[in-house]
Amino acid sequence: MTADIRDPQPVAELRGIHKRYGTVEALRGVDLQLQPGELVALLGPNGAGKTTAVSILLGQRRPDAGSARLFGRDPTLPAARRPVGVTLQESGFPDNLTVREVVDLVRVHYAEPAPTRELLDRFGLTEVAGRRAGGLSGGQTRRLAVALAFAGRPQAVVLDEPTTGLDVEARHRLWEVVRAFVADGGAVLLTTHYLEEAQALASRVVVIAGGQVIAQGSVDDITARTGLSRVHLQAPALPELPGVSHIEATNGSYTLYTADPDGLVRALALRGVAFSGLRVERASLEEAFLHLTGGTS
Amino acid sequence: MRIVLAHFKDQTLQHLRAPGYLLPTLAMPGLFYFLFEGQDTDVRLVTFLMASIAMWAILGVAFFQFGVGIAEERATAWERFLRTLPLSAGQRLGGRVLSAGLFAAVAAAVVIALAHLINPVSVAADRWLPWIAALLAGGVAMALAGIAIGYWVSPRAATALATLAWLLLAYLGGLWETPGELPGWAAEVSRYLPTRLWGEVTWAAVQGQATSLSDWLGLAAWAVGFAVLAGWGYRRDEGASYR
Repeated sequence: MTADIRDPQPVAELRGIHKRYGTVEALRGVDLQLQPGELVALLGPNGAGKTTAVSILLGQRRPDAGSARLFGRDPTLPAARRPVGVTLQESGFPDNLTVREVVDLVRVHYAEPAPTRELLDRFGLTEVAGRRAGGLSGGQTRRLAVALAFAGRPQAVVLDEPTTGLDVEARHRLWEVVRAFVADGGAVLLTTHYLEEAQALASRVVVIAGGQVIAQGSVDDITARTGLSRVHLQAPALPELPGVSHIEATNGSYTLYTADPDGLVRALALRGVAFSGLRVERASLEEAFLHLTGGTS
Repeated sequence: MRIVLAHFKDQTLQHLRAPGYLLPTLAMPGLFYFLFEGQDTDVRLVTFLMASIAMWAILGVAFFQFGVGIAEERATAWERFLRTLPLSAGQRLGGRVLSAGLFAAVAAAVVIALAHLINPVSVAADRWLPWIAALLAGGVAMALAGIAIGYWVSPRAATALATLAWLLLAYLGGLWETPGELPGWAAEVSRYLPTRLWGEVTWAAVQGQATSLSDWLGLAAWAVGFAVLAGWGYRRDEGASYR
């Protein structure tokens, strides 16, 4: 939380990362930067390479080519990871330790950790502090995993699908914690399946598919860049139309995805299509995302 | 050091709360000694068997804390999380070694104290240090074997394999009775086993006899072999999870 905004050094950086598993090219030249005070959402379909990118950034895997840096240092060095808190996609804890013992064990690794009581309280774990960590419910397990990311008063946190398995209320509580952290100057790299989560939190979105970054920008940028709108209408039949990226049809009811809704409506009128019930909507981030990744989400 | 001590505490607490671990390490060796050697009065024999069962107790710690412990932990989400902490592999191993050292000392002490309580055992004052040195040397070799099991065997198979190896190596090594009582085929195999070689150097130390260089060399050869297997297994595992 003491990130120096004037410092030009990025919190985290991937440059030209390539990673191959056997015959599968998981990452094909990925660049990624995280600046202080920024919340970057990493979006992409399953198998896009998100988790591989995160694990290389955290020094858990070595890239075949390219470089990874945390605060300018090699992330495979334990000391480089000290200012960074982590929640991995899967969480699990020793059966024979209590929640409080797990929190205390993690706190030991940092010079000025957050007080145990405050951490437990902030993540709604006070009532289960004395319980065996291996016997928690799914939601409690997830909250503990996120709490541990904040145990060392990090300057940055990496959250790999942090709200999977949380109910709506717990998810919104977590969002508040993340917002407060960013408002304090902290940097966050978040991967998520919940696009509303990226929409609610992210200052920047990086879309990754097929092992490459295919788009990045603000949430609005991403939606605007694809310029995707949904045009609903009923018609007996549709001719060949310009600028339509995708059509869904059910019994004379059509949904057309297009970057230029005005042009599409003009084309419909010019070609004398007998349409009715016309509605034009801006696509959500989810649809922008589906469009960008070729609908393979 | 603070971090090593925290992992020592973590390991020790976890194992203290696991009956499946305490049974073979702290309970069974003492129980075995009590049941099978409780009535003997031959000083040489009960002292010899005290030394044997103490080795068996240490063997349990080596196979169950290193072998089963590492096998069960290495594929878990918790282990993957620990690797994201500012924590080196050496610090984590340090905590594990300290904890196993404590358990091994307590497990052996239980047998030795019990033997002194119920039997006329006798170890000359100047034999304790050589004895402890022999226990330590063999303990290190067996811990390396445990680490090799931990990295080469799946979590499911590790408990079965560790239990089988713990029982067979004790029996064939002559740790349950004197090696002279082993049947012919077993006596033949026994001479080459690490537990038997460890036994030879330990028994000699306890009884104040000269240890034979070939026994030490044999034990050292096993230790080197286990170390190579352990190191290879560790790299393989690291390669699999650090791809």
